[in-house]
Amino acid sequence: MTTLPPTELTRLEALATIAQAFPTEPVVVALGTMVREMLLVAGRRANHLHVLDAMGLVPAITLGVAMSPHAAAHARVVGIEGDGGLLMGLSSIATIGAARPENLILVILDNGTYAATGGQRTAAPHLDLAGMARACGFQTHDVRTAAGLAVAIIDAKARPGPWLLRVAIGPVNQPAPYFLPDPVELAIDFRRYLATPVPPQPDVAPA
Amino acid sequence: MPPLTTALGVDSREVVALRADQVARAIEHVAPTHVLWIPSSTLKSVIDLVEARARDGAWISLPLTREEEGIGIASGLLFGGARPLLIIQDNGIGNAITALTTLPQPYHLPVVMLVSQRGGLNEYNSMIHGLGERVEGILHAAGIRTFLLDERVPVDRWATSIVGACEHAEMTHRPVAVLLNLLY
Repeated sequence: MTTLPPTELTRLEALATIAQAFPTEPVVVALGTMVREMLLVAGRRANHLHVLDAMGLVPAITLGVAMSPHAAAHARVVGIEGDGGLLMGLSSIATIGAARPENLILVILDNGTYAATGGQRTAAPHLDLAGMARACGFQTHDVRTAAGLAVAIIDAKARPGPWLLRVAIGPVNQPAPYFLPDPVELAIDFRRYLATPVPPQPDVAPA
Repeated sequence: MPPLTTALGVDSREVVALRADQVARAIEHVAPTHVLWIPSSTLKSVIDLVEARARDGAWISLPLTREEEGIGIASGLLFGGARPLLIIQDNGIGNAITALTTLPQPYHLPVVMLVSQRGGLNEYNSMIHGLGERVEGILHAAGIRTFLLDERVPVDRWATSIVGACEHAEMTHRPVAVLLNLLY
């Protein structure tokens, strides 16, 4: 595999772009630094489900939401996962590929490390994550800049999925406070949000 | 050598078929929106029915790669107003424990698992006893409610017990495992 130059994009910038691009769509956010930095940039949002543990299950949870009756009110359902989490539940991209939910977007923020536990390496730098997803029937983009992510999201909104957007990010963790709510609050808020019809977002037309 | 119970005049295949019919009857009554499954030999006829009824549009049928994936998908479905049902083997409960204790249990989601149980009396595969016989204890240690159906429950109560277990999950807002031992 060719060695690419170090990326400039941070997790915080990527999360801000995603939160802004999907203001009303259901968004499932993976544990650890992902949840904590998402709270820094977007606050507690009714359309966000914070997965406080259950590592590796974000793709599966996102598939469940995407197939559920209340997903019909939304153009897209988004899952945000890290490279370590994706690799832990990797077989779910096979299940998603077979189920072919056209409304599903999986964004993989890939820094090649387990950020929450001290930056130990994952296998991701040796792998083609987007290529694996394509082999399972996903549409994909492989991006490493804020502009690239923005364009990838526009495409993923415009054309049917399932989508996997692999986003190379740097290893920087933003200092962020712990988030220690009772998970039941998060579950009730997210269920209630999904059960409430929301006006569909205007389609973002491709340029 | 046939199982001893067959030698004594009990037709194991007939017993398995009678109980499996009751499991199928319960699933029809519960009318799940999605059935997520990893097959087992004792529930083969049930999975066949799930697939056939999915082709009629009764529900969506989805094969899983791993048990914990099923817990994740079922949880996502429950967030979005669906009524999923999981069918798995007891051998896969080890895979499911972390998912159960970190997702549906703390988030209070009524995930219902029909778990085919093996091991113990009438088991013909020596490899099955190891985990199968301990599954109930493992689930209890994890704080997961179980209901066990075997020959001590009359076959005409199997369907009502399964339907009751689904209602119990809804009522308690917690995951529930129904252990189905079709061989004993």
